[in-house]
Amino acid sequence: MSDYTLRYVGDQALLVEFENEISMEVNQKVRALRFDLERKRIPGLGELVPTYRALLVHYDPLTADLDQIKEDIRQSADQMDLSQLPNAIVTEIPVLYEGEYALDLEDIAKLENTTPEEIVRIHSGSDYYVYMLGFAPGHSYTARFEAPFSFKRRETPRVRIPGGSIVVQLGLSNVIPFDQPCGWNIIGTTPILACDYRKEDPFLLRAGQWIRHIPIDKAEFLEIKRQVELGEYQCRTYERGM
Amino acid sequence: MGFVTEDPGVLTTVQDEGRYGYEQFGMSPAGPMDLRAFRTANLLVGNPMGESALEATILGPALRFDQDNTIALTGADMGPSLNGQPCPMYQAVAVKAGDLLRLGAAKTGCRAYIAFAGGLDVPPVMGSRATALQNKVGGFQGRRLAKGDAVGFRAPDPALPLPRTAPIPDHGGNEVTIRVVLGPQDDAFTREGIDTFLGRPYTVSKDFDRMGCRLEGPVIQHKTDGNIISDGMVTGAIQVSTSGQPIIMLAERQTVGGYTKIAAVISADLPLVGQRKTGDRIRFQAVSVEEAHRLWRAFDRELKELGARLAQPQPAQPIGTTYKVTVNGRSYQVQVVKHTS
Repeated sequence: MSDYTLRYVGDQALLVEFENEISMEVNQKVRALRFDLERKRIPGLGELVPTYRALLVHYDPLTADLDQIKEDIRQSADQMDLSQLPNAIVTEIPVLYEGEYALDLEDIAKLENTTPEEIVRIHSGSDYYVYMLGFAPGHSYTARFEAPFSFKRRETPRVRIPGGSIVVQLGLSNVIPFDQPCGWNIIGTTPILACDYRKEDPFLLRAGQWIRHIPIDKAEFLEIKRQVELGEYQCRTYERGM
Repeated sequence: MGFVTEDPGVLTTVQDEGRYGYEQFGMSPAGPMDLRAFRTANLLVGNPMGESALEATILGPALRFDQDNTIALTGADMGPSLNGQPCPMYQAVAVKAGDLLRLGAAKTGCRAYIAFAGGLDVPPVMGSRATALQNKVGGFQGRRLAKGDAVGFRAPDPALPLPRTAPIPDHGGNEVTIRVVLGPQDDAFTREGIDTFLGRPYTVSKDFDRMGCRLEGPVIQHKTDGNIISDGMVTGAIQVSTSGQPIIMLAERQTVGGYTKIAAVISADLPLVGQRKTGDRIRFQAVSVEEAHRLWRAFDRELKELGARLAQPQPAQPIGTTYKVTVNGRSYQVQVVKHTS
């Protein structure tokens, strides 16, 4: 059983909030509620948008029975059993940690008082959890549960960094889908597109999954980039327990 | 073939009802800023309510047709003309290849809609033809129309029997009341903060686009500050950051946000927000969710009834007197019909 707060969000959505913290445990409740509501196939239920600690539940007031949806949420929360969650997916993201593709790698190594090789080993050595997506299409909010680095943002944000940049601070690491301003340090670059509108399913990542960064060299980067442009590249994925 | 954009105006985009189901991936739905005017325009030309149409902002476009079709204009009155003659709004109008439709500056409201029988020939992206300007995707090449852009018609119907008319709604004057449902973070504000929000007028600032409408007015007081752990967003959400100034999040808003949201505009009043301009004043009034649902059902019914009425066979030859009139060298059959309503 999970305690939650139910709030109205305008006249076409409800917000189900769990504990007010960013943690794996709380986010798993969001994930569990989402699976359960999706499974129930509730008439008039719209999109479910998971975030760190809350699930936004869209509904169509013309076809949905609001009281029934509230009751379905209550039942799901009452009967919530996190051990019953399906296995999570891990997506392997190839990363070139080198030269102009890793603009801040040398600085990061200095900040952490170690070598670039050690930084790459640390960054690619553990899985990162995708809490949610937002900000831009395909943009993930991703973290691991020990902070492998102690540095934070750059003093002066960059006005524009390219899509494909892998940026880091503390325990966080994000794949940047499109060019954008950014104050985080660039540790590497992936040839993969986090959002590719040419595809039927344009989005590489989903809330509640994991990422593993795989170091590649320049030749592999160029070959994968070529395949991505042709729409032929598939990232390797596999399941893991929580 | 369809029309060529001779002048794009300030901001003219292809929209349909929006791209739904991708907020979980960070994509806002886009779609029209005034759903009532948008749906009405489509119904007038015999389209499904959500068909692709043009949304013009502040200063409308000039379009040269290269194919016959039936069109309808709704929303803001931009003084539309067809070949230099006033073009009526809220009714279907037949256009011929070579005709020039020109819209000017908005006299009332902010956004006008131009619907074309059969819709526009732009490729759907993820099930929608709506332009998401921020994401550079959908509509016409993911961007606003530019001079010279040629947009095709998908299934033009130049023989749509006329007349087809709809009542012209009131976009409100320079001060309107917008109804809201409080929450989800109304408890982050002091009693005084809520009273300020609901009691005092707010002015639409210059910072007003398809993403959001930044308002200026008395500071809305938080209990602590305006930050929360980022959560999901809806169109119409009214976000108040620590500065205490409200922003109404609109069609191309972000999908998640880390600021407190004091309330959300009810669905039935969102069209009124879409017709505001810089300098307009807004007062907020809180209503219950039940009341908001009742108003939304009325909104839906109004449009469905219009659709049903327009779907009835229109009188092919209205009883009246027919005259032949020549204007600027072109001949028209004009019928004077006695109104019976």
